[in-house]
Amino acid sequence: MPVSSRKNPVDVTFSAITAVASFSVIVLVVGILYVLFSESSLAISKFGVWHFLSSTDWDPVRESFGALTNIYGTVVTTILSLIIAIPVAIGIAIFITEISPNFLKGPIGVAIELLAAIPSIIYGMWGLFALSPIMGNYVEPFLQKMTTGIPLVAFLFQGTPMGIDILTASVILSIMIIPFTASISRDSFNLTPPIVKESAYAVGATKWEVVKNVVLPYSKLGVFGGAVLSLGRALGETMAVAFVLGNDHKITSSLLDAAATITVTLANEFVEADKDIYLSSLFYLALVLFMMSFITLAVAKFFLIRAERRFSR
Amino acid sequence: MMTREQVRKTEGYIALLLCTLAALGGLFWLVFILGDVLVNGIKALSPALFLNDPAPPGVEGGGLRNAFIGQLMITVFATLIGVPVGVLGGTFLAEYARGRRIARVISVLSDIMVSVPSIVIGTFIYAVLVKPVGHFNGWAGAVALAIIMIPVVLRTTENMLALVPWTLREAAFALGAPYYKVITQVVYRGAAAGILTGVLLSIARVAGETAPLLFTSFNNSFFSLNMKGPIASLTVTIFQYAMGPYDDWHAQAWAAAFIITVFILILTIVGRALIKWRYR
Amino acid sequence: MKKIIGLVLSVALILSFGIAGAAETINGAGSSFAYPIYSAWAYDYQKVTGVRLNYQSIGSGGGIRQITERTVDFGASDLPLSPAELKKDGLIQFPAVIGGVVPIVNVPGVKPDQMRLDSQTMCRIYLGELKYWDDPQLRALNPAMNLPHKEITVVHRSDGSGTTAIFTNYLDQTCPEWKKKVGTGVSVKWPVGIGGKGSEGVTNYVRRAGYSVGYVEFAYAQQNRLSYTQLKNPAGHFVSPNFLTFENAANTADFEAKNDFDLMMTNAKGANAWPIAGGTFVLLARDKKDASMKTVKFYDWAFKNGDNKAKELIYVPLPASLKNKIRAYWKANGIY
Repeated sequence: MPVSSRKNPVDVTFSAITAVASFSVIVLVVGILYVLFSESSLAISKFGVWHFLSSTDWDPVRESFGALTNIYGTVVTTILSLIIAIPVAIGIAIFITEISPNFLKGPIGVAIELLAAIPSIIYGMWGLFALSPIMGNYVEPFLQKMTTGIPLVAFLFQGTPMGIDILTASVILSIMIIPFTASISRDSFNLTPPIVKESAYAVGATKWEVVKNVVLPYSKLGVFGGAVLSLGRALGETMAVAFVLGNDHKITSSLLDAAATITVTLANEFVEADKDIYLSSLFYLALVLFMMSFITLAVAKFFLIRAERRFSR
Repeated sequence: MMTREQVRKTEGYIALLLCTLAALGGLFWLVFILGDVLVNGIKALSPALFLNDPAPPGVEGGGLRNAFIGQLMITVFATLIGVPVGVLGGTFLAEYARGRRIARVISVLSDIMVSVPSIVIGTFIYAVLVKPVGHFNGWAGAVALAIIMIPVVLRTTENMLALVPWTLREAAFALGAPYYKVITQVVYRGAAAGILTGVLLSIARVAGETAPLLFTSFNNSFFSLNMKGPIASLTVTIFQYAMGPYDDWHAQAWAAAFIITVFILILTIVGRALIKWRYR
Repeated sequence: MKKIIGLVLSVALILSFGIAGAAETINGAGSSFAYPIYSAWAYDYQKVTGVRLNYQSIGSGGGIRQITERTVDFGASDLPLSPAELKKDGLIQFPAVIGGVVPIVNVPGVKPDQMRLDSQTMCRIYLGELKYWDDPQLRALNPAMNLPHKEITVVHRSDGSGTTAIFTNYLDQTCPEWKKKVGTGVSVKWPVGIGGKGSEGVTNYVRRAGYSVGYVEFAYAQQNRLSYTQLKNPAGHFVSPNFLTFENAANTADFEAKNDFDLMMTNAKGANAWPIAGGTFVLLARDKKDASMKTVKFYDWAFKNGDNKAKELIYVPLPASLKNKIRAYWKANGIY
């Protein structure tokens, strides 16, 4: 606090107002936790913590609810989308920072950021109308054909290709997080001191060797943080997957089967839940999702802060 | 046999080629998605879309006037709630609490809140503002969006205020101005473009949100200005229409998607241009 | 900045004055089965009276939930509540219109209204016991058909749906094993199959998958030219789904005011009755008298003027005698 401001009453009031405004963030975090917790107390007392998290039951008639199928769907789509998205995103970031001619850097960077600004419902809708038929008619039958007979892979592509399944949802999710991951990676790459790169070039390294041995190691914390941040994003994404996931509460080994994520279950069933315990279980799901993403994002933030510190020193 | 030199070079070319392909791939999706939205959206545009309210399936001439106005109202009110709180909160972090631990904690928490699943905020608002009131209402939707805006605006404000040189404030102090006057008349002026960008980007962010509106402002098939009752929004309408069985619904969903995408992209571009123009 | 805020504020003020003059609105939510007809009625009603009926199709489960929470003026459900449940939540209930659910199949060469099914085969298919199209049971029902040895892909609704309630109730009544394992509900724990959201999702899956079976409202099957099947009814006849067989089911249904019209019409007794027909019900809150009266006014209007519209959309309007019973029920509850 550089200047004492206690003497002026207007100043005291103003500072108090700003303080209240900024504390609203803390109030929100605590409030959300508290409200979700109290709304789900009915389900918590009925199903407990461990049983709820480990039960695959989602039976509205018998009023028995477990989160495992939803958690499974959330985790599988998220991981699959990251597997697709991260290499591509890093490729894009390398292209923008190291390869692209200068006059292209700006426009491509802008284009990627525009892609990040398109709302998720547009991705979801486009996925249903444009991507899902392509996946169902061409990509998935192709994958199935390619993998039949290969022991450890074939089970991933069993069933009927319909384009409304885990694979399609993951692809859409990955298209959605690519720009986000790419722009964070680009920012991390840009933190590499030019002098280090130049000395690598001076000793005869090729461009790729500079990227691989200098830029990537220098920015790995940032890139990793960015990846975890994208993970947090993907965990909580609703609309992009709601259209093409099929909303089916089951654990399946095939990527061509429908599944349900926590978010999609909430979007589909929240206003439809007819009994108290049903609604309470949905709040419980929301609580689980909130904790999952909060922890993931906190971890991401931790890495990003460390990455920043390393360079600000 | 290739020499070591050649192997290194080839490996480099292949890797760089892959990166280039990745970038082209990213652009390909952008063109694909935007192209689809453009082509299908423009095809479905008509004056009736803006002037009429929805007609039941099978009846010609339905429009989305209710959703356009509803979306506008929810977004405007969300902005009116979210922006002041965000700007003032950011001011506290960058000015009064600068360098303190609490400022650090709040700004990290805000960064996390920026990415917290928006559907969770929808369930939270349902419990706080819908159930106790007794009916779905537009205010609940606006507040849900405001909650998403606050951390975005707060963080940009904090960053932008921090960019204003400290000497500027000292000059004002030297003239005997109290801190609040320094902030409102010197610091804000210096950071105005940046803050405005933050506001624009946060509007762009919430204008496309669907999940937090599903359980809050809900939907309304009629034109309504009553924020105390359920109110239509473009995004929820898109969800309903795209999932629905009727072809004219699909066409209208594309048109709505087109409008909302154009609106958001313009906001984003203006925001970016503004910050470039001011800080470069 | 200040100017912008001022401008926005004044716009907000103008808007909030606009609210005072807003037209009267009734908010309802629930059954998607009833959505086409309610929205069509609402459209005409607004033209005649200026009163807006905002009906959102969020599924029957949602209709029950939202009226129980009192977040809407009326709820709509295809699954009637029992008098005890109604009493507990302070609700009253009446049927509004009748429709039918039909099985749809996608087997190459099979045209609409060709394949014959009965409750036994439907039940075994949805339990996952009957797995192939050339199963002896299916062949016995369709001796003339050349059914392939292909696995059956079962499709069901994934959201809380009245269509599901009517369909599962049909299986529940005719098939003890279904009753034991699954039961009746707007959403159930399906032993087998893939779930599509809404009729759109079910249709999409049935079309794409091939060798598949699903169930949708009849109007929907007809609009989309899906291959619906015949069913054997309790009287032992194979019947096709159409307006007449639905009407026949409706005529043999015994709705009574004394138990709040709590009746599922599945497996109706009529010789020519479609076995998976069902009413769709309106739920009102006893303590929201104003809202209930407005809603009742709307349905009274629809009972008088909406029959043709209903027929157009292949719903069966309620018989005149039942309409009068409902009016008496309204009167008895002081909202008519």
